[in-house]
Amino acid sequence: MAVQGRSQLFWEDVVVGDELPGFSLDITARRVFLQVSGSQDWYPVHFDPAFARKGGHPDVFVNTGFLQAALVRVITNWMGDDGFLKKLRFEMRRQQRAGDTMVCKGKVVSTAERDGEGWVELEVWAENEREGVTTPGTATVILPRRD
Amino acid sequence: MKEPAASTGTYDVEEVRRKYIGFETATAKGRYPVEHDAIRRHCHMVDDNNPLFLDPEHAKTTSHGAVLCPPSGWLALYFASLGPWPAVFEPLFPIVPTPGKRIVNMSQEVEWSARIKVGDHLSVRRRIVDVYQKAVSLDAEAVWIVAEAIITNQKDDEVCVIRNTMLTHRTPAEQGGVRG
Repeated sequence: MAVQGRSQLFWEDVVVGDELPGFSLDITARRVFLQVSGSQDWYPVHFDPAFARKGGHPDVFVNTGFLQAALVRVITNWMGDDGFLKKLRFEMRRQQRAGDTMVCKGKVVSTAERDGEGWVELEVWAENEREGVTTPGTATVILPRRD
Repeated sequence: MKEPAASTGTYDVEEVRRKYIGFETATAKGRYPVEHDAIRRHCHMVDDNNPLFLDPEHAKTTSHGAVLCPPSGWLALYFASLGPWPAVFEPLFPIVPTPGKRIVNMSQEVEWSARIKVGDHLSVRRRIVDVYQKAVSLDAEAVWIVAEAIITNQKDDEVCVIRNTMLTHRTPAEQGGVRG
């Protein structure tokens, strides 16, 4: 997926229903350990299958920091360098486990002008083939205006 | 308060609510400023190649003038409190007594007031917003904790507020081997 970077997205160019470019990640054993490295979350339920099963879970599952980083990637790659993520809310309703392919997506729900600023409301989520949507979320982004 | 046992039969959630809702920790300052390599590892875990977070040369050409920290509440909290070693996984958890010691994050909401740049020095204070019991498949008497982390920078400007809802539960063995 291309990163917007200098190809700045402007509020006037956003249309309700627009889809944000998504991406997928295979939750391999390597990815599980990248998760620990990248989040510095050493809670064993996210990398130790025996610990996870003792707690009543079928297997290890990725943590909140990993899911948030993935959703932030969807949003920030779309909004460009001068966009501002005002709010992100997401729920861990189901799990992304080792062996799953996690797919992250987003779409534009509404746009509004507030005090001269260009606000955009998004739906963002993570899903997999085993569970469907695992991590539904909403986000509010402020985009620069074409002045 | 008497520490509750594994069985919630002795756990008085109303007493816990009275004692802990509204509790706020002192402000803790991260040991290190926001730094490149922790951001690089964070981006690497989800293959995020955004040059605004990774490339100082690109960042210099932007309106920000420096590499930004991705707007992840998790990463902000890492720089404010989880960065020091030995790591403190969940400073809130020992504060609120719960029958089960297992944790699952259920939702998170992050509201941003300002961007974070490499070199900023973050601090955090935490407060307990709610504590309640609600059944889940893992534990019919799971205890839920709603907490906020308020992240500030070196100028004492608030940069974000993170509201986290987590459940705490007992293992099947702690529930008498009924499950698992």
